[in-house]
Amino acid sequence: MDCAPFVIAQEKGYFLEHGVNVLLSKEASWASVRDKVAFKVLDGAHMLASMPVAASLGVGTVKTAMHTSFVVSHNGNGITVSNRLHERMKLYANDVSDLQSGTALKHLVSKRCSKDSPLRFAIVYPYSSHNYQLRDWLDKAGIDPDKDVQIIVIPPTKMIDYLKLGEIDGYCVGEPWNSLAEEQKVGKMLTTGFDIWGSAPEKVFGVNSQWAERNPQAHCAIIKALDAACKWVSQTSNQPELLHILSHPDYLNCPEEQLTSTFKAGQYSLSGQINQCFSGQDVNLPKPSYALWIMAKMYRWQQLAYVPALNDVAEQVYRQDLYCKIFEQAPEIASNWKLSDEQQQTWLDDVASSKVLRISQILSNQ
Amino acid sequence: MTKTVPKALTVMLVDNEPARAAIVEQAMSDSGYRVIRRLENAKNLTQAVTESQPDMVIIDIESPDRDMLENMSRLTHDNPRPIVMFADEGSAEQVEAAIHAGVSAYVVDGIQSNSVNALLQVAIARFREFHALRSELESVRSQLEDRKTIDKAKGLIMKHQKCDEPAAYKALRKLAMDRSQRIIDVARNVISVMELMGEES
Repeated sequence: MDCAPFVIAQEKGYFLEHGVNVLLSKEASWASVRDKVAFKVLDGAHMLASMPVAASLGVGTVKTAMHTSFVVSHNGNGITVSNRLHERMKLYANDVSDLQSGTALKHLVSKRCSKDSPLRFAIVYPYSSHNYQLRDWLDKAGIDPDKDVQIIVIPPTKMIDYLKLGEIDGYCVGEPWNSLAEEQKVGKMLTTGFDIWGSAPEKVFGVNSQWAERNPQAHCAIIKALDAACKWVSQTSNQPELLHILSHPDYLNCPEEQLTSTFKAGQYSLSGQINQCFSGQDVNLPKPSYALWIMAKMYRWQQLAYVPALNDVAEQVYRQDLYCKIFEQAPEIASNWKLSDEQQQTWLDDVASSKVLRISQILSNQ
Repeated sequence: MTKTVPKALTVMLVDNEPARAAIVEQAMSDSGYRVIRRLENAKNLTQAVTESQPDMVIIDIESPDRDMLENMSRLTHDNPRPIVMFADEGSAEQVEAAIHAGVSAYVVDGIQSNSVNALLQVAIARFREFHALRSELESVRSQLEDRKTIDKAKGLIMKHQKCDEPAAYKALRKLAMDRSQRIIDVARNVISVMELMGEES
């Protein structure tokens, strides 16, 4: 769903307008996106915002320099549970907020016998915002994501089926899979990534750094085309056409109606807003502070050991300097996001021990 | 029995293309590897890996179920890890070749990199072979389709111009030559124009 700007840049001719010939290819898994960008089968990709960080640090893959100079979207994830789990959670909830916060789930989990099989939650990829948001939500409610529940990976397209079959009890995934579950009445969305973290980059245009260095013009042209496409996608009046294009067999290959629920605001029974956005105030600016945030989450959930030069990695992977050069903007002053030497020592542990809970605190903490 | 025979590497194949899986399996066992399990889809994929404990999993790079394996390797080091993690240990070229051929692999820790490379080579060769076979099949199929389209166009011309088949074909060829188009494209144009004019029976 959030690949929309790439599809629109192609279909509306923005890539060509900016003088670059782009061939889009549909990839079946995040692992495939990572491998193909690392080995230059693809030059760049619509990727998870955490992916260039993971690749540059060699987390779960061979260390390959990747970076992003353009954030494609913010937010879009939700946590949905099956009707069955929802009914059982209600027994432990005084009000809606107990469901949203996970308090009811905590009570339910602690009442379970040790011989009961653990509740199973699904995510789409281990190194993703979905994983970190689900874990943060569970953790905040006092549930240990590794001991009290089981977290598995399932491709997004299979989430709803698995939920229906009772193979999983809930999931954290991007749209349209939360609103669809609500619409098909197979689950209830309890909370959103936006509720958990605040506004956060979700997908980026990530590139193999070597390619970008060798092809600065093409790189810049793609970013300009994506910027135009993001603006187009954000126009409410373009939605019918957008859904029509996205539903085409070459892209999402699904009925248009399946996508409309994503754009209908406020129909969720329990949770707040998904708040998926593609354009607007600083949405597309790749702030290094987000790379700091992701590294802390990887560390928090035992995917990453110590990183000595956090500021350097953040600056090399989230290239706001390139973005600002392309759009002739003044870059954010370093003191706004850089950790002091002292903070660099404690940053990973501060996030891990929940001293920093929301992304916006990165700035206010300075 | 004092002589110790080196244990054959055990392999699990995950491929929704049964024909290709069969070719790869045959080639693997011919080369002395033991294919302990062949799965067509990923239902229970993680369970199968846990049960069978293969040294290596070979999976189509286009499989949407790869991300499930990515999560396994994170959980414990006994589980197979993505081949790209070994790419800096002297097998970068091989890994690159695998990705280009559409092979992806997951390997457990502690397997010699030359054994991995040798096994990977077998899989790469068979994936390429299968790909070549399929392209050939597709080109034969599309030639047949083209043949039918050209025949249809000829029929329409014969009916419209009241001429015989060689004359209709000659007319098509001439159009193609004059416009420097392929004959199949001209045939398609003829059909759509005739249909527009209601010439089709």
